[in-house]
Amino acid sequence: MTDDRGSLARPSRPISGGSIQEAELPATSDVAWRAKADRAESPFAQGVRRLRRSTTAVIGAGIVGLLLVVAIFADVLAPQSPIASDQTHTFERPSRDYPLGTDQLGRDMLSRVIHGSRISLAVGVSSVLLALFVGVPFGMIAGYYGGRADSIIMRAMDLILAFPIYLLAIILMVIFAPTAGLIGTMKVTGAIAIVRIPIYARLVRGSVLSIKEKEYIEACRALGVRDPWILLRHVLPNCLAPIIVTTTLGIATSIIVEATLSFLGLGTQPPTPSWGWDLKANVAFIQSNPWISLFPGIAIFVTVLGFNLFGDGLRDALDPRLK
Amino acid sequence: MRTYILKRLLQIIPTILGITFVVFVMMRSIPGDPVVSLLGDAYTEENAIKARQDYGLDKPVLLQYVIWLGKLAQGDWGASILSGRPVLKDVLVRLPVTLELIVLSMAVALAIAIPAAIIGALRQNTWADYTATSVAMVGVSVPEFFLGVLLLLVFSIGMGGALPSSGWVYLPGTCQTVVCAASLWGNTQHVLMPALALGVGRAALLTRLLRASMLEVIRTEYVTTARAKGLSERPVILKHALKNALIPTVTVMGLQVGFLIGGAIVVETLFAMPGLGTFGIDAIIARDYQQVQGFALITALAFVFINLIVDLTYTFLDPRIRYS
Repeated sequence: MTDDRGSLARPSRPISGGSIQEAELPATSDVAWRAKADRAESPFAQGVRRLRRSTTAVIGAGIVGLLLVVAIFADVLAPQSPIASDQTHTFERPSRDYPLGTDQLGRDMLSRVIHGSRISLAVGVSSVLLALFVGVPFGMIAGYYGGRADSIIMRAMDLILAFPIYLLAIILMVIFAPTAGLIGTMKVTGAIAIVRIPIYARLVRGSVLSIKEKEYIEACRALGVRDPWILLRHVLPNCLAPIIVTTTLGIATSIIVEATLSFLGLGTQPPTPSWGWDLKANVAFIQSNPWISLFPGIAIFVTVLGFNLFGDGLRDALDPRLK
Repeated sequence: MRTYILKRLLQIIPTILGITFVVFVMMRSIPGDPVVSLLGDAYTEENAIKARQDYGLDKPVLLQYVIWLGKLAQGDWGASILSGRPVLKDVLVRLPVTLELIVLSMAVALAIAIPAAIIGALRQNTWADYTATSVAMVGVSVPEFFLGVLLLLVFSIGMGGALPSSGWVYLPGTCQTVVCAASLWGNTQHVLMPALALGVGRAALLTRLLRASMLEVIRTEYVTTARAKGLSERPVILKHALKNALIPTVTVMGLQVGFLIGGAIVVETLFAMPGLGTFGIDAIIARDYQQVQGFALITALAFVFINLIVDLTYTFLDPRIRYS
């Protein structure tokens, strides 16, 4: 009797988002239905279904989607050029002509905020992807082969991790010498990516360590499947869930790091509009024109919030065990 | 215990060698050198070569590093190339500012996170919990410098200069130079906004973490036992649940030190504070090699020591953890 109660009580414990929904499913009557649904739905479709139930994920996806639209259509959406200065209209208060006012060079803040989304999103997304493309293979090799490859790769990763990330990113940016435009953006992307590589390497290594002991991997080996194929086709798909979640949350962090570098004057240089730079430039005039530094800051905050909400929802949908 | 601490202190050495060496090599791979800004108008090819010889910059990088290490072993942190001042002295003057900032921001973080996480976990899925988790979500999404700007707008500009927007007044007894302003009240005024700007983001992160581990802990059997034996709620939560839930949080706090040092660079820049953060970034941008080395060294030391303290805190939180 006590055993029964124990086993009934345990699954109904609400642990976190995803598992609550599972626990709410009737335990016996729908087993057939569940089995059928499991067969019919791919893991991806299951993830999407669970994601759509999460309010935070939907709000996050909405914000991210909206930002993507703004960044892609910045040229159409921005009422004016983000870099054209107008000495006759400096420090305008928000008005119908300038919804968010103008800065010390008479540039329209709304247009600058709209165009600034490009740098933030481009750097945020591409630096994480770059870190991913380097970090994941390293982590897989270290985890799968172990031994010497593992210790060499992981010691190198530990060395990067031992640095406070801002210190390393700052020194890298000084080495790269920050510039404007596309090249400048690529430099920032590279600096942030280097700092973020170990996170993915460690994450993937950990997953691979447990996956490689699974029987299906042993079966593959017994069948004579080659290592690269095993890694790509059998190991990688099974450690995707934590990678996807960490990537989404990592974009949020990268956007903050980019804004921080720009704030310190080490990001993409003017005239390229960047939120961090605008915030810094306008802080100097905060006493007389308090509103202008608000808007780039709000833009950074909303973007980061969007990715954080989406990442949180993803975590609950894809892997309730991750906390 | 003593041997454990000794062992850990010995492990510091490779970490510090690693960090200082990488910084050394990276700084010297930056195009150009500090001799250009040192000589200024007096720059000629001849003078530059002489200056490089004077500062030992003409030697191979590896040899320069060994020389730096050798001097360090004798307690000599070198002297700034640009100002000529001893690096160790500059670091010691600036250390109290940053230390105070980091300690207070950690205190802010804990003061917010512990109650918020307890309320969130005990009243899971109520409006109180939703408020706590939503505020935490907002908190992790605000960059320190933007929060700093918001605080400036409210307390420095909005309230007619209630709090000073920049500068520093030392905590009595922490001033290392001959002349500097020191008063408790002045110090409080100056440190309040920076500590909040740096602390709130960490508070949000810790709240999320602590709430999650509290949720796990309050469902364990020993908490049920504690309740069953008739303990009132307060000691159950504070003594039995919180102490155990704090373990993963303390680990993360240790790892957060890296972020805090980075955050200190940003916050000190925003509030124009004479701390290590501004010292570091100024040195990096001016390529004052010796100062950068000093900054890297003190950062690495702080990082390693704080993580040692974190590991020792475990024994207090959970007496089953013993080091030998």
